[in-house]
Amino acid sequence: MKKYFYSHVVETSSISLTLADMDLTKEERKHLIDLAQENLHHAILEAVLSELSEKDKQEFLVLLASDEHDKIWKLLSERVDHIEDKIKQTAQDLKKELHNDIEESKKQ
Amino acid sequence: MQNKQYQFLRNKWVRKHRDLAEKLSKKHRSSFQWLSENSKQLALGSLGGLMILTSPVNKGLTGPQVKIASEEAQKIDNKVFLISDLSSILPNEVRPLTSEEESRVGEILSKTFGMKVSAILNELRLNRSYGLIGAEQHLRRYPGDTMSTHFDNPDDSANYYSSGIAPGLGAWGYFATSSSHMTLEDSMREKYYIAVQTFLAPDFNNKVAIYRDFFRFRKMLVVNPENGKAVVTVIGDVGPSEWTGKHLGGSPEVMKHLERVDGAMKGPVLYYFIDDPNDLIPLGPVEPVQ
Repeated sequence: MKKYFYSHVVETSSISLTLADMDLTKEERKHLIDLAQENLHHAILEAVLSELSEKDKQEFLVLLASDEHDKIWKLLSERVDHIEDKIKQTAQDLKKELHNDIEESKKQ
Repeated sequence: MQNKQYQFLRNKWVRKHRDLAEKLSKKHRSSFQWLSENSKQLALGSLGGLMILTSPVNKGLTGPQVKIASEEAQKIDNKVFLISDLSSILPNEVRPLTSEEESRVGEILSKTFGMKVSAILNELRLNRSYGLIGAEQHLRRYPGDTMSTHFDNPDDSANYYSSGIAPGLGAWGYFATSSSHMTLEDSMREKYYIAVQTFLAPDFNNKVAIYRDFFRFRKMLVVNPENGKAVVTVIGDVGPSEWTGKHLGGSPEVMKHLERVDGAMKGPVLYYFIDDPNDLIPLGPVEPVQ
């Protein structure tokens, strides 16, 4: 699995493990895990970009495209208060939604 | 026929993805546009980290792809999920896990291998559950056991002879009192043993007897998180010393199965106690059940 700059503060195994308990093929399970991870990625990107100025956004995107994780954290820590908490909260909210979706799918 | 639950989740999460991507694109369009226009000048190797345009949402298992997917079903190994799940928790550096990380990893390993594992058992634990494993030698199983008597068959001899036999005994002495008293269990214990730093366990000096009884041939699941290879082992020896920079040792058979046999002979593994009070779980390599 590709590591993102937030990988060490956002775990996704709870979704993967919940999907593992369902009657899915390996392909279906993998596809859903990929979708969940992409949704998380987009939500976190949105949350981070919304905290940055136009100039900082450009700097952030350049570092993101180069996978410079340490520099990304340095930038975010300097420009945004409690960025780690904000990322965690964003991920937590979305994961809660995804888990609710999984519960709802079981009623199908 | 696709699973209804899968269809429901796929449709819902594709919609969610579309909404999120749209919001992201609308709200920060000028920044992405700037990056796109300047990517060559900035010498960006890849825009992979952005993951904006290429997305598995467009690769749903629909239509003809269902057939392709089912044909490829055998190719996706359950280890893929294990490696992915562990990588979302394990830190980049090999350090002791936090109790939360330890507990999550325990849950993943328990589910994946269909056995109850944990870093703490009977309120006892080792100094860590994630560390660098190094290669150990074979152990003498009974008085008079030598390299010429040690192997059960020519294949084992060919594969493992070069590891040699340790000059001293394992922490619990011989595995059997003589060659004729050797059982299959004794043989398997020597083959799949690990050495752990029992002496660094919390409060070891005040609980020596308790720990000794607890650690003696205690079953542990050892997993290479980088390839998903796993083996059920027993604690057969004590070590390595702290100065080695290693945190545990594995028998030649354990190291070979984990594929920790590169030049460095050292790499990170997870090692968790197996709760197996009725001794039902066999020693040796183990595969994911889900």
